[in-house]
Parts: sequence; structure tokens; C-alpha cells
Amino acid sequence: MSAPAGDGATVSVSVRVPQAEAFDVFTSEIDLWWRQGPRYRIAGRRRGQLSFEPGVGGRLFETVELPAGPRVIVVGTILAWDPPKRLEFEWRGVNFREGESTRVEVNFRDVGESTLVTLRHSGFAALREGHPVRHGLDGAAFSRMMGLWWGELLSGLREHVVTRASA
Amino acid sequence: MSLDATLAALSDPTRRAVLELLRGGPRRAGELSDALGMSPPAMSRHLRVLRECGLVAEARGDDDGRVRVLRLRPEPLDELRHWIGEVERFWTGQLASFKEHAERRSRRAPRRR
Repeated sequence: MSAPAGDGATVSVSVRVPQAEAFDVFTSEIDLWWRQGPRYRIAGRRRGQLSFEPGVGGRLFETVELPAGPRVIVVGTILAWDPPKRLEFEWRGVNFREGESTRVEVNFRDVGESTLVTLRHSGFAALREGHPVRHGLDGAAFSRMMGLWWGELLSGLREHVVTRASA
Repeated sequence: MSLDATLAALSDPTRRAVLELLRGGPRRAGELSDALGMSPPAMSRHLRVLRECGLVAEARGDDDGRVRVLRLRPEPLDELRHWIGEVERFWTGQLASFKEHAERRSRRAPRRR
């Protein structure tokens, strides 16, 4: 029950593709494998595109097509870009304060014909008052944190879209 | 107590060190400040935060009932574990989706070796 150990979630999956391909598909094709729908995407059912900008300092972001033009929402900056082995990026919730961030680290381990992909999302203990779970552990708080970095921001966008469409 | 208070309490390295020490068993406040090289008033402030969020409770010593000791209360961490569990489910779903995509794509266009 070590406190720091409770500070993150670790998930692994074995994928039957070589290491280099796993890294490449994970990053350059994220839009093709990232789950669809409002729980996972800002765009919801609208047209949107999730992208990694390769290299340290690049960003993970989603572009949403709105009638007024595309809008870019940044999830975080890339902290480590070490193909085909390792990738690390920031993960910021929509109501994170300036300077607040969690981290996602992804390791790709070569195991012959397959790759063991291990993802760790950590840094929750470093979040202070004002982070997305300040109201407790309800589903809405979780959505604001994870699938919908965006939460209110995005429901705002959707309303905007609906209003325009019906105008 | 709220998860927020737990996370805020855990955000400080000194308080995490206190919890680590208390994992070994109850301690007096003085033992904690000595072990971490802190002044008693500074330690007292940290202990107040830990008591307020429920991670630490004051109890009477086992061998001397007059002595106040501090002991770990793991209950608030259950909430944190629940939260981490939600995060795990989120990424388990995403990685399953990644695996499906990568393997399907690989079958369609096998890599040259």
C-alpha cells in the first residue's frame, strides 16, 4: 500500500507485430486505433483527427472540424521519443491548472515476433486542489480526466455546433 | 474524506516519507521528525494534513498508554486505488484497440523480413 506506488496505473498488452512496427503504428496511426465516441474523443461523432507530432517537444493533439474551421486541442507535449523502444508524453485534463500534468510512458519490448507494450499513466498524486477529481470519484470527474480531456469545454463546442447547425 | 484531500496530502515528498515510515508500525511524532531531520513544528504541520485527510490517526502506544503514537490508516488510499482502477480500465480498452488494429493491419500487409 505504498503511496507512491498507488500513484499510477500500469497496463500491458502483447501485440503480434515487430517492435519497430508497434512503435510506428502506435504513434503515426493513433487516429486509426484510438477508440471512437465522445468518451474518448473531443470530436465525438464529428470529424476529428488525433495526431502525434514526432519528436521531443512535439504534441499529442486532436483537431476537430467545426463549421467555423478546425480547432486544435492539445493533450500534452512529448517528453521522450525513443523509437522503437520508448515514448513518454504529458496528459493534461481540461481543468488542470497551469503547470499541472500527469505523465504517460509507453515501453515497447521486443519479444521476437511480438512486442510487449507496457503503458504507465502516473503523476496523479502530484495534482493539487483544482484537479479534475476535486469533486470526488463520480463518472463525470473521470470523463473530465481521461476520455474527455475536454469535458465542459467540449460540451461547449458541441452546443456551438448544434446551435449553428440549427440556425 | 475526499480523494482530492488524499491526493493533495500525497503530493508532498515529506508526507510520503512519513507514510513509508508508518508502514513499519506506529511511531511517535518525535521519532518521525528525528528520522526525517525536521523540526517538530514543521513535522506537526505535515501530520495535521495527514490526520485531516484520514491517512494517519493518533492512538495510544501499545506498551505505554500515556504515549501518543501515530498510525497509518489505509482507508483513504482505497479511493485512490479505485481511481487508479478506472484509469487502468481506460487504458486496457485503448491498448486492446491498438492491438487489434496493429495485428489486423499486419495481416493485410505482411512486413518483409
